Amino acid sequence: MSILAIDDVSVSFGGVRALSGVSVHVNRGEIVGVIGPNGAGKTTLLNVVCGMSRPDRGDVALDGTVITGRKPSRIAGMGLGRTFQASQLFPGMSVLENMMTGLHLRSRAGLFAAALRTPAMRAEETALRAQAREALDFVGMGAFASRPGHALSFGQQRIVEIARTLISEPKVVLLDEPAVGLSLNRVAELDALLRRIRDERGITLVMIEHVIRLVMGVSDRVVVMNSGEKIAEGTPEAIRRHPAVIEAYLGRQVDARSSAP
Amino acid sequence: MRVLLGNRAFVIVLFAALALLPAAANQYTVYVGNLMMLYIILAVGLNLLVGFAGQLAFANAAMYGIGAYGTALLQVKAGWPYWMAAPSGALMAMGIGTLLAFPALRLSGIYLALATLAFAQATQWVLLHWEKVTFGAGGFPVPEPDFSALGISAGYGIYYVSWLVTVALLLFAWRVVRSRIGRAFVAMRDREIAAQALGVDLLTYKALAFALSGFYAGTAGALYCAVLNYVSPEGFDLFQMILHKAMVVVGGMGSIVGAVLGAALLVYLLEVLREFKATQEIVFGALLLGFVLFQPRGVVEFLKRHVPGWDEALHWAPGGAIASLASDESANDDAVTSALTRERR
Repeated sequence: MSILAIDDVSVSFGGVRALSGVSVHVNRGEIVGVIGPNGAGKTTLLNVVCGMSRPDRGDVALDGTVITGRKPSRIAGMGLGRTFQASQLFPGMSVLENMMTGLHLRSRAGLFAAALRTPAMRAEETALRAQAREALDFVGMGAFASRPGHALSFGQQRIVEIARTLISEPKVVLLDEPAVGLSLNRVAELDALLRRIRDERGITLVMIEHVIRLVMGVSDRVVVMNSGEKIAEGTPEAIRRHPAVIEAYLGRQVDARSSAP
Repeated sequence: MRVLLGNRAFVIVLFAALALLPAAANQYTVYVGNLMMLYIILAVGLNLLVGFAGQLAFANAAMYGIGAYGTALLQVKAGWPYWMAAPSGALMAMGIGTLLAFPALRLSGIYLALATLAFAQATQWVLLHWEKVTFGAGGFPVPEPDFSALGISAGYGIYYVSWLVTVALLLFAWRVVRSRIGRAFVAMRDREIAAQALGVDLLTYKALAFALSGFYAGTAGALYCAVLNYVSPEGFDLFQMILHKAMVVVGGMGSIVGAVLGAALLVYLLEVLREFKATQEIVFGALLLGFVLFQPRGVVEFLKRHVPGWDEALHWAPGGAIASLASDESANDDAVTSALTRERR
């Protein structure tokens, strides 16, 4: 059974059809790439999955449970992680605190436990801190633990953001253009990191990406979208040769002589 | 050296001085010291809401008034003793404050500011015009709380009650912001969308922030009615709101010690300017504007940079304090996502 099942999802904003009848099934441990031109509905699809926008039709199921219509925070609690296009690191917190916030759902301490600094609360904080450090080391950012979030470079923020999402060990992570704005070296690091996340942590990844080399390199399967519809799905090799994909990206082939002025 | 100069040392010295004040000073100075503690409670509570949780609310003076009127009216109309009326007044303010979290789910920045300001003005109107219950514009006297069992006068009694309550609430706030609850507040303030994606429930934490700040303001109001033995609507008007806000901004948004510092400084300034009543509002307006423009992170930012041992956690509001809160932080996400989330909420 698929860990994430998107079935026949349609969304429209006013008169604009952002998604029409999109279905995608993701298997456990897979890396699925989602590509398509701007405005194809890729981010809208992720928003539907993580509960930030409600579909007009269709359902999303995470590990067999329908999650459509639930609050984003509830869906996160059921094991769905998400990163965003623009940096969403909390600039007013240290990197370590950012990571500890990633463990929000894995910690318990309430208002009065915090106020009284009960032994249980202090033990929990110590454990969170240790886990946060370990997770920073996993992505090679351990040296930046005490820096404020806003003091990191764009690429570093991106890496910490991914680590902050992974720390709670979600079942599925949605990545919205993780490579945007990264240098070539950073893209290579990201490539290696994504493989390690899947292989060492067993986390399923769904990734929107424009850097074709990255998405074709790491994805087990690629979904192509255009104008709110899924136009192709398959292995990276198959997608490269798919006529509908070539048309969506490059346009229809026309007779060179007749189109010349 | 570091230990002697740090933020903890400052708070300890301030409260030790306040504890000893009645032994050394005249009655008027003790009264001013008491007011200083009430404003510390008000500023700390407001900073939890505005500086940490990022909710630009302007209803603090109203919550202060509800706490004071609740406490006073339960004594005068229902005949309750002070020690029962005071916590009830504070809880009343907390309850009403919590309800403000609901508009805050849909509104942010300047829109939330306007909605809460309208609420504050409506509260002021009720205090002025619902004369049958509130006694109208002139206010009314409240009996002194009874400290005869302890053998001390009401003035000193309420002073030390205020001291204990202020220390307790200060410690409470200091610890809460350094817990997962404080992190959830700051996450919500900095990046609301990402906070949700990490499982921070906006309704829960907005309601908690409004409840806490309502309780702080209500507690200050409950103490105020025993310090002054008189309540009237003008004690909780727009000038009060500006005063609380100025304390938070001057001290430092997102800093508990900053709120203490801001409250202490401004109460002192109020006293210095008491003879020149007309200049008070001009000076406070100018001070607020000056800090927003030139030192948006308040006095604390300066101290953090120049005083060794001043090591409060990094919870400052990024960018220009009020300006950044007024602009929608989620605007940096792509337009569709932010429009959607607003709809979804």
